[in-house]
Amino acid sequence: MHQPIGSTRHLANVLALLSILIMPTANAENLKVGVTLHPYFSFVSNIVGDRAEVIPLIGAESNPHGYVPQPADMKRILDMDVMVVNGIGHDSWAFEILQAAGAKDDLPLIYANDGVSLIPIAGDPSGAKVVNPHTFISTVAAIQQIYGIARQLAEYDPENADFYRKNSRAYALELRKSRAKFDGMITGVDLSGFRCATMHSGYDYIMQELGLNVSAVIEPRHGVEPTARQMADTIDRIKASNVNVLFAEKYFASALSDTIRDATGVQMYSISHISSGPYSDEKFADEMLENLTTLASAIRDVANIKATAP
Amino acid sequence: MTAKALQLVRAAGSRYEALVLGLIAIVLISAQLLYVANLGRQETEEQIYAWQISSFNSFEGADQAIYNSLFTVKDEVPYIYDDVNRFNGPDEKFRWPNIEDFQDYLVPPFYHDTSWEQSGSVDWLLFEPVAEGEMQGYSMYLGTNGQLDKQGSFLLTIGHVHAGFSNNNSLDIWWHPQRSIAMPESGFRDTLVREGWKLVVPYSGDKEVKRIFGE
Repeated sequence: MHQPIGSTRHLANVLALLSILIMPTANAENLKVGVTLHPYFSFVSNIVGDRAEVIPLIGAESNPHGYVPQPADMKRILDMDVMVVNGIGHDSWAFEILQAAGAKDDLPLIYANDGVSLIPIAGDPSGAKVVNPHTFISTVAAIQQIYGIARQLAEYDPENADFYRKNSRAYALELRKSRAKFDGMITGVDLSGFRCATMHSGYDYIMQELGLNVSAVIEPRHGVEPTARQMADTIDRIKASNVNVLFAEKYFASALSDTIRDATGVQMYSISHISSGPYSDEKFADEMLENLTTLASAIRDVANIKATAP
Repeated sequence: MTAKALQLVRAAGSRYEALVLGLIAIVLISAQLLYVANLGRQETEEQIYAWQISSFNSFEGADQAIYNSLFTVKDEVPYIYDDVNRFNGPDEKFRWPNIEDFQDYLVPPFYHDTSWEQSGSVDWLLFEPVAEGEMQGYSMYLGTNGQLDKQGSFLLTIGHVHAGFSNNNSLDIWWHPQRSIAMPESGFRDTLVREGWKLVVPYSGDKEVKRIFGE
């Protein structure tokens, strides 16, 4: 039926049309959010949906450990409105790029770990309490970061604040469901014989939240190979603690893990550091579920061996 | 060879060369020591009072995991509060999420799964605020009866806006060295400290960023 101009219904239609026209879309002046690490690409993509553009600072196949800045990085950083950084030890090169591009004082940064309660690295040979920067290999600390990033992004894009909060909650629930799946894989399994060591301290957050103790860490510092003496001490500690599982790095293979396995007889499994390969919305959730599935396999295998032992 | 040929000739500035070299060495060593003492420092140092406890330096294992989960709950509990009260009628009393609600949302450390068992199977209780008296204005979640050695009890207190807590709900996490303990008499700080509770202080990312980059 034709609506007369000026009628309430007509005005409502005009307002609805206007609201659609001014509603943020994927292409109209969207916030450009830079990220330094793969997990942050997934976090931010899931928070902003199609209402912001997510720009990785470095190439997908680059290894963030010891990364050397490239000229193309400076071009990318100048295109960002805000950048999400780890800031506590995994992306120090991002600050070199900021400096080199002359954007140090201009580009706002979101420190993903601002509201995260940190833990020390496990098994430090000196016994010192050294901050563990691998907060993104977890579900609890990851969710804490997701909420924090959503809250800070809302300050730069207040019109989408509710949208970002709603998405962050949905994403957090998705990650929690992965943990519930892990639980389903090990329900009723005897964990009393499970003793693990890890190649580096990157898995401390996920191990701790799952209630799994790490008896030994092979690398004295992330990316630093142990000396012959440290290696011998670690092998002794693994034997003395009855460690039966070693978790090695999926992306950054090391001959050290084979040496440890040969010397101690532990079973070896690979866990992802979620720091390499193509950037995608799903990468973090997919690889975290893969990691949890690997952990569950290791736990079940140890329980089976224990159950069948003479 | 004549005696003249063997004469020792000292460089004109030899006295100063040794002095300058020594000074340079001292400056270099001092700069290196300053660097190690400041930028290269890895250990975290923070002022912790007697009525506080550091989650980073004093906790390990299960208690650290429980605390970090509660730290995330601090962000989440207001969201769930909105959810559970969304369809309240005009006369219906608003309530804080109970332990069953947290089961639905799969929220640790309340959610009963294998990780909860591995972290000591802590019992969680919700204390809803009363209309009048000393307990007015506080909701509290008590975690107690953990099954692990050296495990303590936890208390998440929520001081409500209507009870005069600044302009937002105030959430604090407390820890008690006793594994089994009753719900405290009150959520007020003085009462909790008197009963042996310690306010947990996190070493959070913002503190580490300040340590690395300065203020």
